[in-house]
Formats: sequence, C-alpha cells, structure tokens
Amino acid sequence: MADTITVSNVTKEYGTAVKTKALRGVSFRVAGKEFLSIIGQSGSGKSTLLNLLGLLDRPTEGSVSLLGTDVGALSKKERAAFRNRHLGFVFQFHHLLPEFSVRENLLIPTWIGGSKGAAGVPAETRKRAEEILDFLGVGQVADKSAEQISGGQKQRVAIGRALMNSPDILLADEPTGNLDTENSALVYDLFRRIHREMGTTFVIVTHDRAIAQQTDRIIEVRDGLVSQDVQNEYLDGRGGSSK
Amino acid sequence: MLELRIALRFLWRNKVQSVLIILGIAIGIAVQVFVGSLITSLQDSLVDETVGSSAHVSLEPAGGQVAFPFTAQDRATVSADPHVTAVAAVQNLSALVPLRDGSVPVSVKGGTLADLDSVYGLSDKLVSGEISLTGNHIAVGKDLAEQNGLAPGAAVQLVLADGSTVETVLEGVFDLGAQAANERSVFSGLELASSALGLPLDRVSGVEVQIADVFDSPEVAAGLQSVFPQITVSEWQAKNSDLLTALQSQSTSSYMIQVFVIIAVMLGIASTLAISAVQKTRQIGILKALGMSDAKTGLVFLYQAGILGVIGTVLGIVVSLALIAVFGVVAASGDSGLFPIEPRLGFVLLSAGIGIAIALISAIIPYRKTARLDPIQVIQGG
Repeated sequence: MADTITVSNVTKEYGTAVKTKALRGVSFRVAGKEFLSIIGQSGSGKSTLLNLLGLLDRPTEGSVSLLGTDVGALSKKERAAFRNRHLGFVFQFHHLLPEFSVRENLLIPTWIGGSKGAAGVPAETRKRAEEILDFLGVGQVADKSAEQISGGQKQRVAIGRALMNSPDILLADEPTGNLDTENSALVYDLFRRIHREMGTTFVIVTHDRAIAQQTDRIIEVRDGLVSQDVQNEYLDGRGGSSK
Repeated sequence: MLELRIALRFLWRNKVQSVLIILGIAIGIAVQVFVGSLITSLQDSLVDETVGSSAHVSLEPAGGQVAFPFTAQDRATVSADPHVTAVAAVQNLSALVPLRDGSVPVSVKGGTLADLDSVYGLSDKLVSGEISLTGNHIAVGKDLAEQNGLAPGAAVQLVLADGSTVETVLEGVFDLGAQAANERSVFSGLELASSALGLPLDRVSGVEVQIADVFDSPEVAAGLQSVFPQITVSEWQAKNSDLLTALQSQSTSSYMIQVFVIIAVMLGIASTLAISAVQKTRQIGILKALGMSDAKTGLVFLYQAGILGVIGTVLGIVVSLALIAVFGVVAASGDSGLFPIEPRLGFVLLSAGIGIAIALISAIIPYRKTARLDPIQVIQGG
C-alpha cells in the first residue's frame, strides 16, 4: 500500500536575482493515518512545506507524493481538483466567506467538486453537513451568516468545511493561533476525535511546542531542513526514537 | 452554477456599489439610445422635409430641348427598377399670378392626379376644398393661398413667360409641409399644362421618380441614365450637397457622443469590478485553496459583469423609451417645434448588445487579476 505522504529531497527557492532557500532537501514519509505536527521557528520553512503538501506551491527540486500520486506531474487544474477531493485545510484565520451562511460555507467544497456546482446538492451531502455541524457543536448556528458567530465557532465551522469532502489528509496551519486557551483545547480535542472516528491523517503546522506535544509524531524543521522527526513521547531527550 | 451563485452573493453583499454601477450603465445606455434615436429621427425628418414630397430622381430634356417623348413602355421600364416606388410624368412651367398687390411667381406642375398623388400625396395633404385636377381646375399651396387671400372657388389667372394667359379655378389648397414649397407650388391637370406649353400629351417636360430608400438615388439615376441616354437624369443628393454634408457632420458628432458615452460606461464598470476584485481577494484565494480552478474564479467576475450589464442595459432601454415617449407627447402637443422620435428596433437591440458587451469586456481586468491570484498570499496574509 502506498504511503499517505512521501516527501523526497525537496528544496524550495524563492527570488530570481537573489535566491533564498526556504527548504534545503527535506525528506520524510507518512504511512497510514497519522496524527503529526510540523514545528519550527518563524522562517524555518514549515509553512513552505505545508504549502507544498497542500499543492498550493511546487518544489524547486525533489518530489512530493500524496496517496501514491506524484503531484508534481499534475497540471494546475488537476492539482486544484486533487486538493478539493483529497485534502482539507484549516488555517490560522477561519477564512469563512461572509457572503454565505454557516451551512453554505460547509457546502462550498462539495459545490466546487460537484459536477452540478451549487445546484442539486444531494440529500446525503446535506445530511452530512448537518451531522458535521452537530458533531462540531455549531448546528444551532447553521443558518446564521458566517459573520454573526463567535471566533471559536468560526474556527469550528472552518474545520467542518475542511471535513465536508471526507479528505484523506487534513492540513492545519497554526489552527489555534488565533484562539484563546479554551477554544484551542476544544479544537485540539476535535482534531483528535476526527482522527479517531474518521481516520483522517492530520498534519498540523505550529510553532507552539505545547500543541505539538499533543500529536503522535513531531517533525521539526530548522533552517529549511528536518532537524528532528520523532514520536511524541520521546521528544526533546525524553527517550528519543528518530524515524 | 457555483460561480453564478457566488457572483450574485458578491453583488448582493455590496448592494450600494451594485446599484450605482447599474445606474451608471443604465444612464449610459439611455443616453446612447436616446441620442442615437434623436439624431436618426432628426435626419429622417430633415430628409423627409427636403425630399419626402418631391422627386428623388428626375428625368429632364437634354440641353436645348423643352420636352421628350415618354411612352407607356418607357414608364414600364422605369417602374421595373425595384427601388422605384412612384413615377409621375409632368409638365413644368413657370408663371405669374396677378393679384391686387402685384404678381406672384409660381411653379406649375401638370400631371394626372394619380401620378401627382403617387409622388406628392396631394389628396392626403389637402387642407381645404377638393382635388380632381380636371379641366381648368388647379390646387395651390397653403401659404400661397393664405398670403394672397385665395380660397377654393376663386378664379386664378396664370400669366406665362410668353405673355399668354390661362384662366383657371382654384379647387383645393394643400400643405406640403414646407413653407417654401407651399408659397410657390401650383398643380394642374396634364392637359391644361400641356396645352399651356403647346405640347402633345405624349411629350413631357419631366418625369419624377420616387424610390424606397432616398440614399439609393445615385445608383438608380445611373441605371436610368444608361437606359435613357438621350435624356438628362439627375438625383436629389447631387442638388443638396450642403444638406448631405450637414447630415454627415451630424452623424459624426452623434457617433462621437455615443463612443465617449460607451467609453465612460466601460471605464466605470471596469474600475468598479477591479475594486470588487480587490475587495474579494480573500474570498477568491480561499475558493482557490479549496479547489476552485483559476478559470472558474475568473468566471465569478464575468458573471458579475454580465448581471450588471443585463440589468443596467434593460433599465437603460426602459428609461430611454420612456424619455422618447415623453418627447413624443411634447412634440405632439402643439407648437413645440419638436418632432417625434421613432426608436428603431435594430438600433435598440444593437445598443443593448453594446451595453452587455462592454460590461463583459470590462471584466477582463478583474478576470486576469483573479486568475493570477496566488492563494498562499491570502492564507498567510490572514
């Protein structure tokens, strides 16, 4: 069975006249349904790595393979379709569309992926949206505008949106960076439940070690290189088993 | 159609902005339709006043001749031209009408009532009396009658160039719609005029031809000249070059106004959509991150432009037709000096097409801007 994620000797350069290397030969594998975090200081290259995993950017060298597909070979349109079908995103900022209701925000990924667009959403899709909203504890605000709910609710709706197409991989970029402690804990618990109940692979990018230590595996990026790739319980000299 | 739904939501979200741009398009299209129709109707009115009740193409005797033979076969030949709508064989002569305060110069045109009606529509333009043009009966223009106290039943003497006189009876007064024509025009039967000129009935001093489209006159004249080389064929445009220059200048200025209106509307829509694209950068970036293709995100703005264009154009046409209707009511109510504007369906549809097209063209900038947008900028920008 193919790995969920395979990153092979990936480099990423920015600039033309003066080149900056954000990643300098990163390699790692994610087999099966893992719950892992990528940590690093600001400017370490962790967000660049997430952009590559999310097919929002292409590596300068090396390859990224997701679910057995070499995504570097895909066209821009195919990458957009792959993103819609197999990946879910949760960002630091909720990025909900204020023009739509909470329920509609959840349905947007299915509209994008559906052959009929926004018309004719199947009943089972609507049912799934209701179930996800209830699962996330925001079912009571489904008909409200995305602007009319609290910050914590917005982030939960954003998680729901990421789950709508049953993604194989959920990529979260500082998902609790804009939340208070209580809502951060709630979001983390939700991630755990989703991972356990839906079997989704989670890749959480964070600079917060406290958050990272709640994941099963931690990949630390420093100066564009993977400096540590360990199981959580052995991180930072607590025993250590590097992958 | 997700893109359409998003476009509608974007427009609804910025209602004031949407309404303003719709009003901008509506005003632009209304001006376009109104000015275009006004100029077209004005030109039609001027042309109609100038040549509506006269010959568009004239057959006249060649130099030195006073008349030429015009047989039934010749008439059939002229009528066979598909442009030709009326043919009148006439005798033209100049005369003086002696009155109490002196003599009034007039142009007498003799012909059968059927022929003269076909070119001048005399029966429809009668304002008093009746018209038969039989025997020594004549009809005169309204201004000639009013200025000289002539009324149906009056005896009118015509003094010809050679000093001879013809006694006639005024039977009707007509209004040709132009004062100059009404002051000098006298119509008589063909026999009376032929007799006055001393010509047999099968020889005429002119043949007057009307055609369906007055601007086809050079082509028709050239065709008739080739068929009748012994006769001089002239047409109205050659005799009215000043009027044509004025009409052409008017058309050019009208086109200029319409082009500038279109440019103003296009700039208005383009700038508004460009602002909208900037305002919606975050939403577009997220939609792309969620898997929406570049082309489809671009379509959102194309749909916005299309919706604005269609609503604005329809509203503009309604406004312009209302303005034209009001103009028509004012024109019909007495001595306003205005003429009725008649909108042409083809021109209105063309204006509608232009309105929608410029809206869509205006979406090119936001379309391209959206297509180039990198979702990473949005995601990391917060």
